Amino acid sequence: MRILVVGGGTGGTILANNLARRLVGEIRAGKVRLTMLSASDQHMYQPGLLYVAFGQMAPDQLYRDQASLLEPSVDFHVDPVERFHLDRNQVKTRSGKTHEYDVLIIATGARIVPEEVPGLSEGAETFYTEEGAIRMHKRLKEFQGGTVAMVISIPHKCPVAPVEAMFLLHDFFKARGIRDKVKLRYHYPTNRVHATANVAKWAKPEFDNAGIEYETLFNLKEVDPVNKVVYSEEGTECKYDLLIAIPPHRGMETIERNNLGQGGWIPTDRFKLTMNGHDNVYVIGDATNIPVSKTGSAAHFEAEVVAENIASLIKTGIPVREYDGKVYCFIEAGYDRATYNAFDYVNLPDLKPPSKAIHWFKVAYNQMYWTTVRGLL
Amino acid sequence: MLDQAAVDSLVEMLNLLASAKDAMSDEIVTRLARTASEGMTLLDRLTRNEGVMRLLQVLDRPESQYMLISLADALAKMSRELATAPPAKGGILGLVQLARTPGTQEGVRALSLLGQYWNDSLRELHRRGG
Repeated sequence: MRILVVGGGTGGTILANNLARRLVGEIRAGKVRLTMLSASDQHMYQPGLLYVAFGQMAPDQLYRDQASLLEPSVDFHVDPVERFHLDRNQVKTRSGKTHEYDVLIIATGARIVPEEVPGLSEGAETFYTEEGAIRMHKRLKEFQGGTVAMVISIPHKCPVAPVEAMFLLHDFFKARGIRDKVKLRYHYPTNRVHATANVAKWAKPEFDNAGIEYETLFNLKEVDPVNKVVYSEEGTECKYDLLIAIPPHRGMETIERNNLGQGGWIPTDRFKLTMNGHDNVYVIGDATNIPVSKTGSAAHFEAEVVAENIASLIKTGIPVREYDGKVYCFIEAGYDRATYNAFDYVNLPDLKPPSKAIHWFKVAYNQMYWTTVRGLL
Repeated sequence: MLDQAAVDSLVEMLNLLASAKDAMSDEIVTRLARTASEGMTLLDRLTRNEGVMRLLQVLDRPESQYMLISLADALAKMSRELATAPPAKGGILGLVQLARTPGTQEGVRALSLLGQYWNDSLRELHRRGG
């Protein structure tokens, strides 16, 4: 049995390690071969980028060698997939090698495409890449006062990130002693301050308390970086001194090039996590089109379900679990407080009052992440 | 109902927790979490490593422990003696003289036996697949 994992992010790594643990006997006996193909030899803790942007984490704290996180029985190659031949159970990599599989797991993630909004790359700061987060931190340190505007495109990785960023901006300028010179403006594309109703219900009064202004139904159309104005599809505009953007996202280019899904999001069965029409192809993490948040947490829970099912199929011929849509996300709420958001397909999120204890839980999790991807937590 | 002493104890405990909370910082939480994370990873690797488990089984035997203690003892003595002994003169006569001492003969015999059993053990390990 040849199991091929494409993608070495949170979902792919947890899944490969989980399978390696469950199938240790089969792998040793040579009955199962577990291979991972990734685009990089480094693994990045992406949620840490937000902390880099605010000077609370150093960039090197975000990285580990991918090989050091994997079980030794996982055959790991830095050789990204260029072509998917699902009808032949094959993929072809950048180096020209062909890998055959019996079971394929696609965990290729998502990418930002700021170039899809005119003027956005030139006019806005973002914290979705290491370079961007460092540059944003520099700009925030140099900022002396004026309007800081945030604009948001959906869908994007980590749905609560813009809300967290607003609270962190408030704290950051307060700590610098210039909060009274900074106007914080938040622009969200739907008719409330967050797509998730309960998050919006919680965040709105918190914004009011922190003196954060907000405008809803603001769908990002264009940025004029020369005159420092951002325009919405609805015809409104906002002048800014510093623009922070949650840029548009898409699935990976290779997914689009291979016509596996519109926008790079692969049509996936929300319970089985198999690609529609391909029972031996699983999709996890940001690459799916299922209606859950694009977060490491969702990728984690999905990876556990898929690993358990693949192991069970090999051992007994029967899958044992379905993904219930479980997601758990921390939300930094400013003033050294945090809350969390836990929900699934049936149960809506019910946010708890923010506390310092939850903030520390989040701070601790930033380190415990490495235990999670190794398949221990 | 709680008596006054119990209430005082609870208040004392709450004060202790509050002082610990005030003394904590994000950096301390980060360091503690990192240590716990790395510790768990190390423990996981050790407990799932068959070689380490087999080594622990061997080390559980008193004779293995005596052997290690005596080896450490012998190394210390050897180190002291080497530091004070005059440099070897060399030549075949020196070797013959060394070979005539009972200690050298016992040492060679011990090394010979070690080689024999070590060889057997290695064969067995390879036979069982490492």
